[in-house]
Amino acid sequence: MLGPLQPLVDMVTSPLFLMIALFPGLTSIAIIGALLGWLERKVTARVQLRIGPLYASPAGGILQMFADLIKLSFKELFVPENSDAFFFIMAPTTGLVIGAALVGLIPFAPGLQIANIEVGLPAFLAIITLSPSLVLLAGWSANSKFPFIGGLRALFQQTAYEIPLWLSALGVIMMAGTLNLAQIVAAQSTGWFIIPQALGAFIFLVTSVAEMERLPFDLPEAESEIMMGWQAEYPGVLFLAAQGPGFVKLYAFSALFTTIYLGGFLGPSLLPPLFWMLSKTLVVIVLIMLLRSTFPRVRLDQLLRAGWTTLLTLAIVNIGITYLLVVGLPTF
Amino acid sequence: MVAQGIPEIGAYIGFLFVSTVALIIVLRLLITPRDPRPTPEKKKPFESGQIAVGPGRTRFIIQYYPYLLMFVVYDVIAMFLFAWGLNLRALGEAGSLPVLVFIIVLLIPLGYALHLANHRENW
Amino acid sequence: MTDLLFLAFAAVTIGAAILAIEARDLVYGAAALGIAFLGVAGLFFLLDAAYVGWFQIAVYIGAVVVLILFTVMLVGPRMGEAPLGLKRVSLLAAILVSLLLGMTGALANATAFPGQDSCGSGCDLYLLSTSLLKNYGVQLEFVSLVMAAAVIGALALSKTDRGQ
Repeated sequence: MLGPLQPLVDMVTSPLFLMIALFPGLTSIAIIGALLGWLERKVTARVQLRIGPLYASPAGGILQMFADLIKLSFKELFVPENSDAFFFIMAPTTGLVIGAALVGLIPFAPGLQIANIEVGLPAFLAIITLSPSLVLLAGWSANSKFPFIGGLRALFQQTAYEIPLWLSALGVIMMAGTLNLAQIVAAQSTGWFIIPQALGAFIFLVTSVAEMERLPFDLPEAESEIMMGWQAEYPGVLFLAAQGPGFVKLYAFSALFTTIYLGGFLGPSLLPPLFWMLSKTLVVIVLIMLLRSTFPRVRLDQLLRAGWTTLLTLAIVNIGITYLLVVGLPTF
Repeated sequence: MVAQGIPEIGAYIGFLFVSTVALIIVLRLLITPRDPRPTPEKKKPFESGQIAVGPGRTRFIIQYYPYLLMFVVYDVIAMFLFAWGLNLRALGEAGSLPVLVFIIVLLIPLGYALHLANHRENW
Repeated sequence: MTDLLFLAFAAVTIGAAILAIEARDLVYGAAALGIAFLGVAGLFFLLDAAYVGWFQIAVYIGAVVVLILFTVMLVGPRMGEAPLGLKRVSLLAAILVSLLLGMTGALANATAFPGQDSCGSGCDLYLLSTSLLKNYGVQLEFVSLVMAAAVIGALALSKTDRGQ
């Protein structure tokens, strides 16, 4: 009917394309990222008995982040002298891509998953391991003291906490017997994994907060200490590119936590599965945001020691417990 | 034999990358104004008004370097453990014996690390 | 389609590897090495070894490149020219390497590798796991000993550095 445009129209209206473009893809990621920024300011404000963003109407300043976005776009973009422009620009940009790639792996509802790959859980964790190198490059490229120190701190922090992250996810794999995220959700129809994996879920939560560089692990950003750390030199839109992945990762990690521990989109069928998925994810997100208002910042050597000794040991203990749960007591 | 998901995830990742880069470039070019008042101060590194002295890439935190080495090793270990944990129900106890020995052998350096961590001056 | 993808990934790998060696600024070289590893991961995906491919990304790009980047940043921003004017020797090296690769390729062609482990349509991860643990259990223990030695060595390194 449309002649030569028909294949293009077919591609644009295909389910995969719609998923990539709208939900749970790029558009929804951008909007949710912005909304999470607003939510964070509101939650921390309420905890501190403030009101938070109020004037960007209609409801409680919800458009505040979009106003910030527009403001940042009009700021002058410059690259600091003696800095490495290529990595300065490419590092946060790739960070955005990584954040979006993470969300694409999550099953939001049966069939509502951009990339349903057989090895979904290791794929998610593998994409996360790309993050430390990007932050290191971003901090290095600015050729300025504070960003560089922040980048180094971020590197050590993220590499320290990735191993407990992997090992706590291993507990879920041992229980579910599959690496596919949609099948892991299906395997929880007899009971959410958070109950037998309570220790693993706790470790997963703590390590993902550390991976996201949120308080109490925001030493690389450390606003009062090294002036936004590795993000200090980023102007305008690039600042958005540096900050944005933080919120997208918050979304992605909370969604993953919900998927592997809280049964994902499972729930009584009187409400659609998507509703269950999003509401559980929201609960996890608010929980993580409350952590920000509650705990003081952890010092670097305490942080690294805790990650490499305490959390790693607990993760191995969790593996042992899960082994006993799945296979039973060893018969020697 | 091409993996099932390659065209999808390849297209997906390519699309993401291109779109994000394009978006940022477009935003930057269209919206950001040209610099009306170029001054050298604008491009100096930011230190809350203090004039920066010394090289930009300073104060290397070298003492945590062994952590990076440990990270590489434990990442590889994670690969083997994932291969094991996946098949736990089928392997049962007999099949898990090599991995149990594997983990026990790897508890030795972990114990050493814990021992060293108690002597705070070494870290 | 497969051939096209293979050529693309191979080109990326080789091109990035050349960049990694020839780059003046070592940080660019390390980043190019990361791209080369990405190409290798793509080749793994083409071979239907998605598990290995993702761990290639996680371990090589996520860990090894990070280590190299850190070390390169420690050494200095620029290494300048090649330290030795090795024009003549590089020609000899190129000839020798081509000979070596040619011989290896000819050998690989002539060898009758054991057939696929009845993989069918895509190698099963469970099959991989079972055969790894049942048939290669002893090798797994050797791997664990090597890695334990590496970790202990890394920790011991941290002690000697303190003496400075």
